[in-house]
Amino acid sequence: MKLTIEKDVLLEALQKVQSIVGQRSTLPILSNVLLKTEGETVSLTTTDMEVCVKTSAAAEIAEQGGTTLPARRFFNICRELPAGQVEIEVDVKDVATIRCGPSFFKLVGLTEEDFPPLPEFEESAVYTIDQNVFKEMLQKVSYASSTDETRYILNGSLLSFKDEKLTVVATDGRRLALVEQEVEFSEDAQASLVVPTKTLNELIKTLGEEGLLRIRVSAAQVAFDFDRILIISKLIEGTYPNFQQVIPAQCEERIAIDRETLLNAVRRVSLLTDDQTASIRLTFGKNKLELVTNSPEIGEARETIPVKYEGKEISIAFNPGFLMAPLRHLDSDEIFFELSDELSPGVIKTGVPFLYVLMPIRVS
Amino acid sequence: MAAIRVHSRLKIFRTWAKAANVPPMNQHIQMLPDHVINKIAAGEVIERPASVMKELVENAIDAGATQVDVEVVQGGMQLIAVSDNGSGMNRDDALLSIERHATSKIRTAEEVEAVATLGFRGEALSSISAVSRFTLITRPAAELSGTQIQISGGKLQDVADAGCPPGTRFEVRNLFFNVPARRKFLRTEATELAQIRQLFAVYALAHPETGLTFTSDGREVYNLPGGSSLADRITALYSPGFLSHLRRLDFTADGVKVSGFAGLPQTGRSDRSDQYVFINGRPASAPVIHHALNEAYHAVLARGRYPSAFLFIETPPAQVDVNVHPAKKEVRFRHPAAVRDAVIAAVQKALTLEAPEEERRTPAFKFDAPRPAPRVEKQHELNIAVQRGKGAEEQRHKDQEMAPEIPAPQSETGNRQSAVSNPQSAPWKWCRVLGQAGGLYAVLETEEGIVLMDPQAAHERVLFEKFMHDLTAGKPLRQGLLTPEAIELMPADAEALRRHLPVLDEMGFGISAFGQDTFLVDALPVHLQNGSPIVILSGIARALEKSGAAARATREALRETVAQSACRTSIKAKDNLSTAAIERLVEDLAKTEMPYTCPHGRPTLIFTSFTELNRKFGKS
Repeated sequence: MKLTIEKDVLLEALQKVQSIVGQRSTLPILSNVLLKTEGETVSLTTTDMEVCVKTSAAAEIAEQGGTTLPARRFFNICRELPAGQVEIEVDVKDVATIRCGPSFFKLVGLTEEDFPPLPEFEESAVYTIDQNVFKEMLQKVSYASSTDETRYILNGSLLSFKDEKLTVVATDGRRLALVEQEVEFSEDAQASLVVPTKTLNELIKTLGEEGLLRIRVSAAQVAFDFDRILIISKLIEGTYPNFQQVIPAQCEERIAIDRETLLNAVRRVSLLTDDQTASIRLTFGKNKLELVTNSPEIGEARETIPVKYEGKEISIAFNPGFLMAPLRHLDSDEIFFELSDELSPGVIKTGVPFLYVLMPIRVS
Repeated sequence: MAAIRVHSRLKIFRTWAKAANVPPMNQHIQMLPDHVINKIAAGEVIERPASVMKELVENAIDAGATQVDVEVVQGGMQLIAVSDNGSGMNRDDALLSIERHATSKIRTAEEVEAVATLGFRGEALSSISAVSRFTLITRPAAELSGTQIQISGGKLQDVADAGCPPGTRFEVRNLFFNVPARRKFLRTEATELAQIRQLFAVYALAHPETGLTFTSDGREVYNLPGGSSLADRITALYSPGFLSHLRRLDFTADGVKVSGFAGLPQTGRSDRSDQYVFINGRPASAPVIHHALNEAYHAVLARGRYPSAFLFIETPPAQVDVNVHPAKKEVRFRHPAAVRDAVIAAVQKALTLEAPEEERRTPAFKFDAPRPAPRVEKQHELNIAVQRGKGAEEQRHKDQEMAPEIPAPQSETGNRQSAVSNPQSAPWKWCRVLGQAGGLYAVLETEEGIVLMDPQAAHERVLFEKFMHDLTAGKPLRQGLLTPEAIELMPADAEALRRHLPVLDEMGFGISAFGQDTFLVDALPVHLQNGSPIVILSGIARALEKSGAAARATREALRETVAQSACRTSIKAKDNLSTAAIERLVEDLAKTEMPYTCPHGRPTLIFTSFTELNRKFGKS
């Protein structure tokens, strides 16, 4: 294999695929990126056996072929190369010679035959959605998924294509984030799938600002095609819990709050909490919201922000991390906080169909 | 005849029998001759060769010797010889010393109450000489010639002048030659030798000021110089690194002084053979002390594991009764509670490692804060570090913009200043995270050596203490769950859980019985909220069930049981922790009271000192 490629093009392509490469994988081949010429392009593929990312870049191909190179090291080399043409030549022993201007590297690779083949894909449904729209949906929701491995079904987000809309839901059992978007798809393409958080993070990182995204679903896998990228991921099998039942039908009070004001206040006040077990108390009084944290070893923080509120006084405690997460990932200026009492869940809503249910912290 | 069954009447009968000086012909009960009495007494005092050595070494030390040499042949079954350079005896004393209840150590009954010497009962020599071929050679420093006495099976064979150095030498040959029953009960030579060595170690520890040698079958096993400290003795008897696993004890309260050393929890073993207790310098023990040790290590050692301990307990002699057991193995305290409290307090003080005063006064600024360990030649490292640092900065920035909750891809940058300073109460003054080994263990460097840390165990310890701390502060917070989770348990577990619902409720669990063996969980203590309810609660239920959850267990003990198992189940091993995460854990762990083990007693830290490394690498 022999090819010449623009440094920036190669770097961009590598950037898209290198992040899922395992650092301490048990299979050495999984630390490598597969390079393969395909006509006038070279394709780059990485996988951790759960997610597979493939992209391609235009290159001058002098000799067809393929190899695998240590991804992290190859990426680091490319990052440091001067701008210009990079010449890559691979010998039969999979040793790559990389030349660029005055630089010269010999990088030892592994044979492409050992690289796991791309999974066969038989889609049962195909959806098309705007890249940016999908990315924003994921950003607003995916952080709420669980990392507890014993609840594997919650280690991802639910993508539900139903009733002419896509609903994305993530929960860890203490808070739940949900966003909806109208999407066109055929009646018989209704489906629900749970996509691992790792895949979604990869998507958030690589999805672009414009252009369409094609989502293909098979029995156990999902594929995302966009730009020159293909991401194939395993699906989490199982039944996602019925999320509808945790969304309160109605709350007694609804308060509009400036999103950034609230986020900044929570962030400041939570400086005086102990990360893992933190709680912040929100007290809604007449036209004001008071935020207080208090821990005997650290100290006390207090901040009052003006809100329009005429209802009954409500004092409720939340995990500040859980409270800040949606505020940070939303983009609207104003959010609506819906509450009933200190024992019932709080709900954060915005103008767009977004909803975040958060269970309070109680004192025993 | 019934009268003599009454104990008080026995004396009268004896007096009568003696005065009459006639053997009571037609009576079934007879006074035993002295040599029989001695044999019986020997059974109590002399069980095996080791007990002979014990008595003889005690005598030597009581005689003010500064050098004691012990020699055994064939595990002491052929010969036990103990020589000392103590005060020695003149001929009269020497002859008297082998009579029963002849002693130089006490005179009156009152003195029994306040014995300060090791021996005092006056039984030892007569007992030993009754069951062996016994030679005593002794000379007081002031006299020109010494005395040699030979006794065989309790019968005086020979008394003669002898030339000898000042001091006393006992030779005990063919132990139990005239008591075949006893001899049959002796174990193999190796076992008897091991017993003697173990006992020798006890006296070596009790008297570091006395020089001791031990020779077995002509081979010198120990040569311990006199005038040493306890620390020297421990080093000499154990491996050189052992001392670094011990913490010095120093505590006095209510007239009870506790000194010596207590082992870090990792010294725990499955029996008590590394626990040495000395009461007023006498190797002895009392159940109360073992209970106290158990209690002191309760939260750091697993049940059935016993830490090393070298406890020296000093109380006024009148406060302790040593005359409980002929071999003086066990003593009784007048105020056991005071002793118990003192031992617990001493051990806890040593383990929690309050930094000494002067360390606390160290200024916050340190000039020689350690730099990251260079991985390659220095110049190269510098070069790369600058560029990588920039990359990391960008990466961090990007992460913050995009999705701060997504775990940042672990950057390999080594450019962080990753030294964590812990001026107070930490197991180290400073420590630096070097990395992670095997994708699991964190490798740290401290001022004294290398520490391997199990992040999972460390995390358990941190969580456990935070949890317990919040419980005692009385403000357990509970995080509600979106949907109550139904969990079903095995009947026995379910029963255990059901019985303790009130305690669990106090601790922040929202659990309600839901018929049969099913429970509904609608809230978890905030500390455990990242775990899964079913895993945590089935763990707790099993722990409660297993501990028998004694109905009499205190609320505190129950809480600990619950917290221990809850912390274990709510924490999972995570590979590839970021350096920042390890640093935070190290900092948190340093703040805990018992940083050395997880709540179940597994070690969190394994320390290897530079001294030990140097030794292993052959650098002195």
